[in-house]
Amino acid sequence: MTIAAPAIVVDDLHVSRAGSPVLHGVSFEVPAGSVYALLGGNGAGKSTTLLTLLGFLQPSGGSARVLEHNVAADTAAVRQSVAYLPEAATLYPHLSAYENLDYFLDLAGAGVDQGAVDATLDRVALQAEARGRRMETYSKGMRQKVAIALALLRDTPVLLLDEPTSGLDPVAIDEFNALVRSLSDEGRTVLMVTHDVYGACQVADRIGLLRRGRMVGTFDAPEGARIDTETVHSAFTGRSAA
Amino acid sequence: MIRELRFLLRDRAAMLWIALAFILSATAVTLGLAEVRQQQAELAEIDRLDRADRAQVLSEQSDWGGAAYSTFHLTSDPPSDFAFAALGQRDVSPWKHRIRMLALEGQIYETDATNPDFALTGRFDFAFVAALIAPLLLILLLFDLRSGERAAGRLELIEASGAGAKRVWRTRTILRVGGLAVALILPLWIGGAVAGTSVFTLLAAALAVTLYLAFWAWLSRTAGSAAHTGSVNLTILLGLWLLICAVIPAMLTQAIDGAVPLPDGGDIVLTQREAVNDAWDLPKDATMSAFLDRHPEWEAQSGIDRPFEWKWYYAFQQVGDQTVEPLSRAYREGRAERDRLVGFASLVSPATALQRGLERLAETDVRASLAYEARVRDYHARLRAWHYPNLFEDRDFSVKDADGLPAFDSGDAT
Amino acid sequence: MNAAIRIAREEWRQWRRSRLAVAALTIFGVLLIVTSVLTAGDMLDARQDRLHQQAHAEATFLDQPARHPHRMVHYGHYVFRAPAPLAVFDPGVDAVTGQSVFLEGHRQNGAMFADARAQARAGGFGDLSPAALYHLFLPLLLIAIGHAVILREREARTLGPLLSQGVTGRQLYAGKSLALLAMIGLLSVPALIASLSAIPMGEPVSTALGLYAGQLLYLCVWGALIVLVSAIVRSRGVALGLLLLVWFVTALIIPRIGVTAVGTSLPADGKIVSDMRMKEDIRKAGDGHNAADPAFAQLRANMLAEYGVDTVEELPVNFRGVVASTAEARLTDTLNDYAEQRMARERAQSDGLSAFGWLSPYIAVGAASRALAGTDLATHHRFLREAEGVRFDFVQGLNAVHAEQLAYSDDINRSSDPQAERRTRVDPKNWKVLRDFRFTPDTADVRIARAADSLLALTVWLFALIGLGLWAARRMSP
Repeated sequence: MTIAAPAIVVDDLHVSRAGSPVLHGVSFEVPAGSVYALLGGNGAGKSTTLLTLLGFLQPSGGSARVLEHNVAADTAAVRQSVAYLPEAATLYPHLSAYENLDYFLDLAGAGVDQGAVDATLDRVALQAEARGRRMETYSKGMRQKVAIALALLRDTPVLLLDEPTSGLDPVAIDEFNALVRSLSDEGRTVLMVTHDVYGACQVADRIGLLRRGRMVGTFDAPEGARIDTETVHSAFTGRSAA
Repeated sequence: MIRELRFLLRDRAAMLWIALAFILSATAVTLGLAEVRQQQAELAEIDRLDRADRAQVLSEQSDWGGAAYSTFHLTSDPPSDFAFAALGQRDVSPWKHRIRMLALEGQIYETDATNPDFALTGRFDFAFVAALIAPLLLILLLFDLRSGERAAGRLELIEASGAGAKRVWRTRTILRVGGLAVALILPLWIGGAVAGTSVFTLLAAALAVTLYLAFWAWLSRTAGSAAHTGSVNLTILLGLWLLICAVIPAMLTQAIDGAVPLPDGGDIVLTQREAVNDAWDLPKDATMSAFLDRHPEWEAQSGIDRPFEWKWYYAFQQVGDQTVEPLSRAYREGRAERDRLVGFASLVSPATALQRGLERLAETDVRASLAYEARVRDYHARLRAWHYPNLFEDRDFSVKDADGLPAFDSGDAT
Repeated sequence: MNAAIRIAREEWRQWRRSRLAVAALTIFGVLLIVTSVLTAGDMLDARQDRLHQQAHAEATFLDQPARHPHRMVHYGHYVFRAPAPLAVFDPGVDAVTGQSVFLEGHRQNGAMFADARAQARAGGFGDLSPAALYHLFLPLLLIAIGHAVILREREARTLGPLLSQGVTGRQLYAGKSLALLAMIGLLSVPALIASLSAIPMGEPVSTALGLYAGQLLYLCVWGALIVLVSAIVRSRGVALGLLLLVWFVTALIIPRIGVTAVGTSLPADGKIVSDMRMKEDIRKAGDGHNAADPAFAQLRANMLAEYGVDTVEELPVNFRGVVASTAEARLTDTLNDYAEQRMARERAQSDGLSAFGWLSPYIAVGAASRALAGTDLATHHRFLREAEGVRFDFVQGLNAVHAEQLAYSDDINRSSDPQAERRTRVDPKNWKVLRDFRFTPDTADVRIARAADSLLALTVWLFALIGLGLWAARRMSP
């Protein structure tokens, strides 16, 4: 692992939603250029963490920083450097992939030429013949690819992904994992939340295990190898780890 | 069934719409009863004033001609025991007239109108709630029945249960329609008990409302498909509501009014006025012979010697009415014909059919209004028949004899 | 702001590609156009008819042969109220009031032959005018088309990416509002055309545009409400239910309950009751047909003293005519008192109903629209007052002829003496006491002033809803 300054620093984060506390002092760091998987079951607080990093939720205690910007105070700067991929993003079904990308990139203020768009769609492996069709005709995997392409095209140093592989078939998942690894190789920081132990182990440099709003374990990938699935799996499911 | 009922009772949105229907129906019935009570009170008050006024006027008279000229007679069409549910035509058509023995055509078109802003806004009566609001509530209850299950991912689960699925939809639909019908009809029956409405009328009204709701339930089922999202279904159903409750009735009104032109009301009064006023300048024989066409029995007493005689005066009042009779009849028949056509049209316009049916039961429809007008005409004729012997036989006036003046029979026991 | 425009344009693209939205818009557009054309046709016909009938009534009056002037008092005259030019958009109370009044001596008649009475009664909401469509039904279309403007982003999970990539909540709110505003602008075109078409008929530009602006304001209130609900509610079912409930309550329920509430708290006597009460008063004023009525004893004594004669026969004027004139003046005072009382009560009722405009924008826009179009109750009242003015003038003109041109001795003997009767007929040129009557709507400033309260209510609604919307937009999160 590199020893670069961490891209994301979360320190003793407390967040409440609708009056009830969801995060009870979560802390973790994501080194720049690494892939970090925040792993947890339903209701562990994964999405809450992401939404807080994006400035949609206000911490009631502790702090979170993305590229040195405080997410609560400097939301605009954070959002400028972050691309966010929500769970099961469908984009606009009545528009084609091209139209969707054009629209969102325009709103993001990112001037992107057609060549870059096609290159990125090639990279996420979206069939060329589908790109001009309305997205209502797409499969779930194809929609996901367009949403990822959007995140890539914004060319931000940090990507936040919410359950990016849920509902995808094994081929699509493999393609996706390869893509995420290549992003890391380019020096981008990826924070993904997921409940898929296997997927997380496949792709992450570090895994943080979240349970009921608390960080209960961290697993680092050994140099040149992937994290051991069995270890994480038993920590995730096994009451022994608790 | 019981299980589905429990589901319904726990469905907060559904219970909200059913509760709203109950509140609106109860409000409408209460307001309707208050309105009817106010109309009855006003009639009682007018009746009292009218008797006192007539007694006072008669006591000042010296001849029958003057007595007939100065005494007014109250006629009225008291609200029926179901009028509270459908106030109908009573807001725009007169239900009380004070008439005297002058030409009737000059009097019968007067309206004791309510505030025009009120008439424009319309009444909040049961007919309004049942015909126009209830379908909306039903749509809100039913539009998401299947699409909602689909959105929640349960549709396939229910459909997969095979033959049972049909029963589930049917039970749910019936429970919702039934709940709505009960919420609407219960206040109506309570109101009916207060007003003393006959059981037959209440049952007929309940049946009409239930059939109407069943029609809407069928329509919601047919138009709203599970394949669409709930909001698409709702939009389609709202469009149908607009069509059936607003556009079709308005188009029918336009079409029927266009198909059955009426004589201009102004022409009737104008012609009548010309006839009555011209009579002053015509030779008296001309007036009297026109009068005798209808009343040959007074031939012997029809000579007019002085420039002014009461019998001649009343003869030309009657001739004035006779002159506009064709126009006036065409006006009445036209209104009746329009109403008849609305009757046919209501076969294709359910909202019209229900409103019309309720107004028929309440006797507040056009037919009732025309019938009242006919009773007023009939009464006016009896008034003439009673006065003519006094005038033509030149009897002496006596207040005592005036007790025998015919009284208007409102045709209603209440 | 660029982002807002881009978002608005995208919303329009979504509508264009939605078959349901296109169908709903097309159907409603056709309905609006058909209704506008039909209403305009009816109004123009009615206008022409009334103007024609008015001219005819005046010509008929002037054409009457020589006769006793008092006979002309009873012959009477008609005045007609032609619909205001803007009635092509909002016919207002015209349909329920009747538009002609018969004027005669000793009586004030009401307006006769309201269309509503003779119309085929097909139920529903009655006749549809462009105003009715705009006020009652257009909000439904806006709800159907617009309830998901922001919700759809939430459902498609595009709200997160949008907000996380630099678009602010307010930009999104502004963009969606702008899209709906453009939709409102498109839907208001028929109203604009109807308003402008009244200008060649003599309508001031300010009221024509004011009427259009009033509709726009009302639709914007709905637009602001729809965007607000779309921003704060998280499911379509709830958003639709909530918006429909608001529509229900403000457009169908509050107005009608308001009518009953005002009618109960400010009850108005029917015409028959007040006529009977008035009759009592009138008896005191004396019967103008009977110069021997004790009520005129004082008048007689005064006149005899003034001219220094002993009997009414010696007076240089016809005492009967003087009595008729005096009696008419006294009677008219009483009639006017009662008429003013009745109108004041009706006005109080209508003001009471308009006050519900603070609760229901539907009531506010109705009141504003009728006031600006010149088809409101106040205009009808002015018509009744002006008609009364015409009535009083021609009756008193004829009474003056009666007093000055007829000999008292002929006048009292005409019932028994045919020669005397002939001498009491005056030349038809005297019928020129009748003045021409053409009813015109109030001036622009009067109408605008009358609409001001209701327009203010709508403006307050609009700003309150926009304020809430901006507040909600700032806190928007996926």
